[in-house]
Amino acid sequence: MQILISNNSKEPIYEQIYAQIKKHILTNEIQAGHSLPSMRQLAKELDISVITTKRAYEELEKNGFIYSVVGKGSFVSEQNNEMIKERKMKVIEEQLITAIQNSKEIGITLTELKELLTLLYREET
Amino acid sequence: MFNLIRKDIMLQKTTLMTMLPLLILLLTLERSFIYIGLLFSMAIIMNAFASDEKSSINTLLNSLPYTRKEIVSSKYIGALFFVLTIVLTIFTGNLIINREITMWKELGLIICLVMIFISFMFPFSYKFKSQYLLTAVIVSFVIYLLIVNLFINNLNDKIRELVGILLTLQSSQLYLLIAFSVIALYVCSWLLSIRIYSKKVF
Amino acid sequence: MENVIELQHVQKSFDGFQLKDLSLSVKKGFVTGFIGGNGVGKSTTIKLIMNLLQPESGTVSIFGLNYKEHEKEIKQRIGFVFDENVFYENLTLAEMKKIIKPSYKNWDDNLFAQFVKTFELPLNKKIKSFSKGMMMKASLTIALSHHAELIIMDEPTSGLDPIFRRELLDILHNLMQDGEKTIFFSTHITTDLDRIADYITFIHKGEHMFTKEFYKIEEEFAIVKGGIELLDRDTEQEFVSIRKSNHGFEALTANKGRIENIFGEMVLVEKPTLEDIMFYTKKGAEQYV
Repeated sequence: MQILISNNSKEPIYEQIYAQIKKHILTNEIQAGHSLPSMRQLAKELDISVITTKRAYEELEKNGFIYSVVGKGSFVSEQNNEMIKERKMKVIEEQLITAIQNSKEIGITLTELKELLTLLYREET
Repeated sequence: MFNLIRKDIMLQKTTLMTMLPLLILLLTLERSFIYIGLLFSMAIIMNAFASDEKSSINTLLNSLPYTRKEIVSSKYIGALFFVLTIVLTIFTGNLIINREITMWKELGLIICLVMIFISFMFPFSYKFKSQYLLTAVIVSFVIYLLIVNLFINNLNDKIRELVGILLTLQSSQLYLLIAFSVIALYVCSWLLSIRIYSKKVF
Repeated sequence: MENVIELQHVQKSFDGFQLKDLSLSVKKGFVTGFIGGNGVGKSTTIKLIMNLLQPESGTVSIFGLNYKEHEKEIKQRIGFVFDENVFYENLTLAEMKKIIKPSYKNWDDNLFAQFVKTFELPLNKKIKSFSKGMMMKASLTIALSHHAELIIMDEPTSGLDPIFRRELLDILHNLMQDGEKTIFFSTHITTDLDRIADYITFIHKGEHMFTKEFYKIEEEFAIVKGGIELLDRDTEQEFVSIRKSNHGFEALTANKGRIENIFGEMVLVEKPTLEDIMFYTKKGAEQYV
């Protein structure tokens, strides 16, 4: 599981970890039921404080991406992935519809919109 | 706590290695070994005391799982160990070199004198640091000399007389009394030192 | 989560200095960094924790026990790492071990040998020949060889090169793996704490300013930079203290959210370092005297 932390980013480190693990889960890179490294182990490997990984794991657990078993560790949750994906797709649809409506209002063509989308998509990585 | 005494012995190993042969050497030359025994005992004991006086060592000792009571007690018991070592060396040395058996009263006198001196020196050193002790000793010695030269003549002879009388006393009751008082003094000093050291701030 | 160290309403006066009503706690299983300028009470606090000093009033409890009744028990479970040499200079490390080993019930010769090997420490050279780095490693070795649950480090890395400091952090990371050990790390070199500290306890002028999770500090504190014209009586109150120059102002706020609400895009908001927090807090205290 690849996790890259930027010390210079405005985003707090725990949020970066949260976002990256979440992405791995949603794209099924880590399967449901798989175990995650313990928060202490992860802290050591990433060379950061334990409290940071703890916070990230707490967020992941709060939002249903992982669950913890005392004495055994943390695991990727099952059900929610599909639901979350569905929900997100709905949000994306709605956002796209709004973008399309706005474009039509000021006369942006589909091609121009696609170009803009491609440009922005590439930037976001 | 015995570990602390062992530590003192370990630290004084080299000093002991040089002193004991020296002691035996002196025994061949000089007969009044009471003074020598006293001097050597005090030297080792105060040396052991002084090597623990650096603030860094106090930090170390107080960070180890020992109470302050134990730290002080190890010094008092250790001192007895050192004086017994010196006394034993004198006895053996005398036996081998001068082929005579030292009177137990003479050995006892050394031990008593050492205990009396320590009873004053340890609390003083805990309160004021042993470097001041040297000053205090020098000052007392100067005063002693002044008194001697101004008021009493032949003090050394008088002392020798006194010591002689003490050694020839027959009353075992008197000896018991003296031993008991010295022990009582030692214990009081011990308690006082514990009190002083417990209140110390590092 | 239990507190391994707990100071409650501690009062201690010194010549010209006072710890007033100091309460702080250190949580088990985490690394707590202890920061503060010189002469503000850091060493006094550590001495109180070690029982080198006693408070005039208030309580000090370690592992939930007090020193009066449980001194030896507490010290069995603590390991200390100092910034000065606390060993007998004329002894070797092997001899020091002989002295120290019988003091501890949980001494582990294997652990000791392991650390001596890892740190490449000479067993038979006199301690006075050790470099500062070696002394610190020796101190750490002894602190770790008796399975101490609480490790108190007082400026352990001052005078050590940056490479060694990183190596030390690796060692500490390893120690924290089982979640049973607690580290209390007092230091001036705040950058050392960036990689390992879970909580930061900040003390200033004998007062406990805060103990916070490390990430909370970034959430709540911020360095704010903007034009001088943005400052007036009211806005200046939002900051801990301000540095003004011809080119603008730079200030520390303890309430990042508020500043973002008030100024929005008009200012530059940045992550503060621990040094920033110490510096501006000191400045702030001086202004209101």
